Amino acid sequence: MMKRTIFAKHLRESAIWIFIALELAFFGIAGEFLSLSEGSFLAPDNMLLLIKQTVPLGIIALGMTIIMINGNIDLSVGPIFALCAIVLLDTMTWPIFAGLGDWVIPVSWTLAILVGSILGAINGLIVWKTGVDAFIVTLGSMLGYRGLVFLYNGEQPTYHLNWTLVDIAESTPLGIPLPILIFAGCIAFTWWLTKRTAHGRNAFAIGDNRTAAVNAGIRVGPHMVWNYVLIGFLVAVSSVTFYSASGSVNPNDGMLYELWIITAVVLGGTKLAGGRGSIIGTVGGVIAIQLMRKGLGHIGADTAMVNLVIGSILIVVLYIDRQLNRKGEQELKA
Amino acid sequence: MNLKKTLVVSTALATFAMAGAASAADFTIGITQNNVGVDSYQTTYEKAFIAAAEANDKVDAVVLDAGGDVARQIAQMEDLIQQKVDAIIIWPTNGQAVIPAVRKAFGAGIPVIVTNSNIAAEGAEFIASFSGPDNITQGSRSAEIMCDKFKEMGIEDEAQIVQISGQPGYTTAIERAAGFEDRLPEVCPNVTLMETQPGDWNREKSQQVMEAFLVKYDDIDGVYSGDDNMGVGALNAAKAADRADDIIFVGATNFAVGYEAMERGEYWGSIYQSPVDDAEAALKTAIDVLEGKDVPLLNYFDTPKITQDNMSEFDKPVF
Amino acid sequence: MAQGNLKVIGELLAKHGILVAFIIFMIVFTVLNPRFITSDNVLGVVRSSAILGVMAIGVTFVVVSGNLDLSVGSMMSFSTIVVLDLHDKIGPILGIPVMFAMTMALGALIGFLVGYLKLNSLIVTLGMLSAIHGLTLTYSGGKNMDIADKDGTWFSIFGQGEILGLPVPILLFALLAAGLTLLLSKTPFGRKVYAVGGNGVAATFSGIPRARIVFYCYLISSFCVAVAGLIQASRSLGSQNTVGQGLELEVLAAVILGGASLLGGSGTIFKTVIGVLILGFIQNGLLLIGLEFYVQYIVTWVIIILAVWLDIAAKRGQLWSPIA
Repeated sequence: MMKRTIFAKHLRESAIWIFIALELAFFGIAGEFLSLSEGSFLAPDNMLLLIKQTVPLGIIALGMTIIMINGNIDLSVGPIFALCAIVLLDTMTWPIFAGLGDWVIPVSWTLAILVGSILGAINGLIVWKTGVDAFIVTLGSMLGYRGLVFLYNGEQPTYHLNWTLVDIAESTPLGIPLPILIFAGCIAFTWWLTKRTAHGRNAFAIGDNRTAAVNAGIRVGPHMVWNYVLIGFLVAVSSVTFYSASGSVNPNDGMLYELWIITAVVLGGTKLAGGRGSIIGTVGGVIAIQLMRKGLGHIGADTAMVNLVIGSILIVVLYIDRQLNRKGEQELKA
Repeated sequence: MNLKKTLVVSTALATFAMAGAASAADFTIGITQNNVGVDSYQTTYEKAFIAAAEANDKVDAVVLDAGGDVARQIAQMEDLIQQKVDAIIIWPTNGQAVIPAVRKAFGAGIPVIVTNSNIAAEGAEFIASFSGPDNITQGSRSAEIMCDKFKEMGIEDEAQIVQISGQPGYTTAIERAAGFEDRLPEVCPNVTLMETQPGDWNREKSQQVMEAFLVKYDDIDGVYSGDDNMGVGALNAAKAADRADDIIFVGATNFAVGYEAMERGEYWGSIYQSPVDDAEAALKTAIDVLEGKDVPLLNYFDTPKITQDNMSEFDKPVF
Repeated sequence: MAQGNLKVIGELLAKHGILVAFIIFMIVFTVLNPRFITSDNVLGVVRSSAILGVMAIGVTFVVVSGNLDLSVGSMMSFSTIVVLDLHDKIGPILGIPVMFAMTMALGALIGFLVGYLKLNSLIVTLGMLSAIHGLTLTYSGGKNMDIADKDGTWFSIFGQGEILGLPVPILLFALLAAGLTLLLSKTPFGRKVYAVGGNGVAATFSGIPRARIVFYCYLISSFCVAVAGLIQASRSLGSQNTVGQGLELEVLAAVILGGASLLGGSGTIFKTVIGVLILGFIQNGLLLIGLEFYVQYIVTWVIIILAVWLDIAAKRGQLWSPIA
């Protein structure tokens, strides 16, 4: 009995990786028949590219995982992503930094990350101090922050092409693209935070049973604020990583990111009601989604098919996850 | 889906039949489009492109869609570079953000052809050619159409107009508005442009914007819309308020609905732009580049004025 | 003393807060631009809010039962495209009921997944948002859908017609609001919806069939979406595939503004209608006083947070949250 419980637990945790393996097998084989590409889908180069392409959504999803473990949600990541990019690209042209030359780059990075963290903190403080549900607070700021994005530069895109900046963002220290290294750093940090610190334990405790956590003396309010600061910080890191390489931001950029990210986090096994989830699972979730997009493109599926498949898979995974959990719970009781 | 899949499957089968590892055709051309399915123009473009590629034995096409998302488009550029296609056609989601990705293709020795909506000047040195309409000229032509009509009506010194622009941040929207706003004072210096609001290429949104304009301004003589889809939305709003007869509607990218409204005498004029021409021009430009022919950097296809007066010279748009 | 006053004001706001805000709001905009209150403008705003309103009424049932529906925007695109296509293929008389059946089949599917399979509604409807969009694109082949003979069809009545001087969309909106108010507040079914949303577990133990009630709520929601699609299609007699995109969040904002708790068990149709009208008048009012469209995003943000916050503050009797 004990053995089977552990088996169910392992199955649950590795479900996303089994799913990724199935996707790889499918696209690898189907690609041989259906794709016009000369290279194999499973070629190491292509896989490295795949991981690089998950970085923008992936870094944000790490923050969302902790927010959701804690029992909250953040719908405002899209406009924060765009706003940080505006700060990054606009501050580089400010006259007061003119004397810095290319040393303006780290200054602008810092400012963008600062702004992201502050926007996160605003969400967190409102959630804490007003007691309004996080879903509503961040639904509101999703609109409000988008308004700020437009306020900054009207409907015009903000852009500043600095080839030094682009070259840094596209550099490959140790043969690995820089964005992947940054992603790896963020994964390591958030993994450590959830697994090895009191803050991480508190997130699980609060998400699992808030009243009990309060009774145990955990200060729920500041804890939530720090989580929102963290996600704001990570959104900014993601934004800086992406826009350093592209140099231009449309006021509409980042729309619907919240939906993709929540999808990825849930695919990775994090419970919406809080109390359960893992960083590694989320990494699996974002890779699974990017793999799906890339693979469907590789075999020639169009937008309609991609939407249908991703939507349906989300629901199926939710169902399977539920069945596995129910089994686990029943056996625990027995 | 079906067309494309058949294309892909049939070429794959052909490849098998020839037992060759490489493709049967001379060139593999990859295309990453902006946002197929968001409107009929882009859908018709995609179908025309696939049909043109299918009809040409020399070409295999890898057809991708960025869904309007810059990040996805950059990823698709990287994918195409990694797949070592012979040429890449890009319909930019953002005229600046794709420049580094275009440079990457340039660095990999893959010629890039920009289609429909150009990238910013900084990227010009990395592209082989731009193929598409001249959106600034389109905007100024719309201004001329409107001004000529006002002169005919004798109100060129007092007319007041409003503008409904396309999706904020998109090159086509920005260029058309700029072309219109620059040209109008040159030809009709006394016409006042009272206000501009975005209609997001969306008929319903444009209808709402126009409803507010109608309440706000008692006297509107003309409406310029960034495309006919939005223009018809504005027309619907004016019809509902019984003020359509007093207003001259001018658009761009003549859609079938715009053409029909012109037939009914409700809509004055637009710019005739065919997605089929657009797609075929892009593919032809790419093939010319690959065959080493001399291709101009800016390869505009003509987009003439269409008004109620000369519409009989044009076929009704299929989209 | 100050605390006591606050409490009185709080209680007042808790009962009629949204109405008070609405009235203050209307006065301010009228002062800024007298055109705001003209009957043309008011009718115009209500008419263009009708589509959002009809959808919000349906979603209110879902929210009161303790669930969410993020799929209504893409479902509305679906029903609009379908009814326009069927209009020319099999005629409006057959086309309208077939479109209702197809839309409500989607609603039934969601109801089954959330009600009977007990899957999380946020994720299910998120998945359906994407899947239904794909379905619409497949159905239309990505093309705009237009009715060929725009002048010769009576189909335009739902979106453009008038009865007794009142635009039909407003009448449909009012009729649906009245009918569903009765259903939600005066029938045993309505009481069960509140019971399921207020405390699902207790409701199950007291013999209320939770699954079936949730299922019906999604069916009602999809029915309302079909009505919205009908109005939309009839209003413009042609449509893009993305016509409803993003409406799900506006609908949710209106429902929340109306004071329905996302935890379920509270909210009324009347308040949702007020929420819808507030959103409509904000958008219109800001355009009228010449502010850029994006200012409305910021104003909506502030109003949503304030409205919900004051509502909660009044209920708990203190402004700031007691969380440490």
